[in-house]
Amino acid sequence: MKAIKVVLQIVILYVFSVLGETIHQLFHIPIPGSIIGLVLMLLCLIFNILPVKMIENGAGFLLSFLPLLFIPAMTGVINYPSLFSGSGAVLLFIVVLSTIVTMAAAGIASQLLETRANKRKEKKACRNFFSQS
Amino acid sequence: MPQFFLAVLIILFTVAAYLVMMKVYQRFPYPFFLPVLTTTVLIIVLLAAFHISYNGYMVGGQWISSLLGPAVVALAYPLYKQRHVLLQYGFPILGGVLVGLFSGMISGLLFAEVLGVDRDLILSIIPKSITTPVAIQIATGIGGVPSMTVVFVMIAGFSGVLLGPMVLKWMRIRSSLGKGIAFGSASHALGTSKAFEYGELAVSMSSVSMTLSAVLGSLFGPIVVWLFQI
Repeated sequence: MKAIKVVLQIVILYVFSVLGETIHQLFHIPIPGSIIGLVLMLLCLIFNILPVKMIENGAGFLLSFLPLLFIPAMTGVINYPSLFSGSGAVLLFIVVLSTIVTMAAAGIASQLLETRANKRKEKKACRNFFSQS
Repeated sequence: MPQFFLAVLIILFTVAAYLVMMKVYQRFPYPFFLPVLTTTVLIIVLLAAFHISYNGYMVGGQWISSLLGPAVVALAYPLYKQRHVLLQYGFPILGGVLVGLFSGMISGLLFAEVLGVDRDLILSIIPKSITTPVAIQIATGIGGVPSMTVVFVMIAGFSGVLLGPMVLKWMRIRSSLGKGIAFGSASHALGTSKAFEYGELAVSMSSVSMTLSAVLGSLFGPIVVWLFQI
């Protein structure tokens, strides 16, 4: 019974993905169809057009097996044997370095914005405190 | 008709191999025993040994890949569940994710350009910090090679997990919020699994940043390519 539920819910997710793909092609939007589907799904959930119960089992199942789904795509490296030679080392270096930059930038920016937001809250709290006294 | 049986056989084999490799990973929980890596290596070795082409494998493989679309839609579910976190810390999350997104795409592009990497590979590097199913779609959209993108996404994930704690220390990123956003923006799902070591807030930050970065990345990826005229 649970298996049927999961399959039906995946069908619902599939319909959204196809819908997104159709919108992507009809209106020439440069965003991937599945992302349009994600946004549509999110809107449907937020505005209660689709109860979360209708997809939670299917979504949970798909996401728990997510790595399986990109094995076929990853197997495609078989067509790029040069990856395992010198040029591969250069690419490895680029990706590792860029990941460090990304991590540092995202962390610093969000921490900065967080302290600023907290300070503003404190100021507000102080003002409220003084106006009351 | 034999095409059909071949496809079913390939699908069953891939799923079975993945399940076995998951057991292996439970026994040896090291990053390099992640089922996605070991299963892929096993399949590549078998294809090479039996002289089967990638197209031959994809007779069945494409059916597994076709679930990537609904899987991306499924990401709406965790995002919906964490909408309160997103509303509460909206500004730092959005700011951190956007800064991470652009520095990730542009630094990858510039390093690759400087080191003389081919154009199709540069385009494959751009979405490397984004979760795999979406990165594949972005790479396809901007003219990269999806298989290479998957490898780069994996490398971004592993390097984030291995070097992340050091980077956070050097950069004096001490808040759970900052740590979570850093892991999610740079190293997607693998980073989020690492964020478990920094507490619940870091995990939800990381998973929200990962999804947000996927949505925004699919929008800004093509724009970055257009801006830099590669």
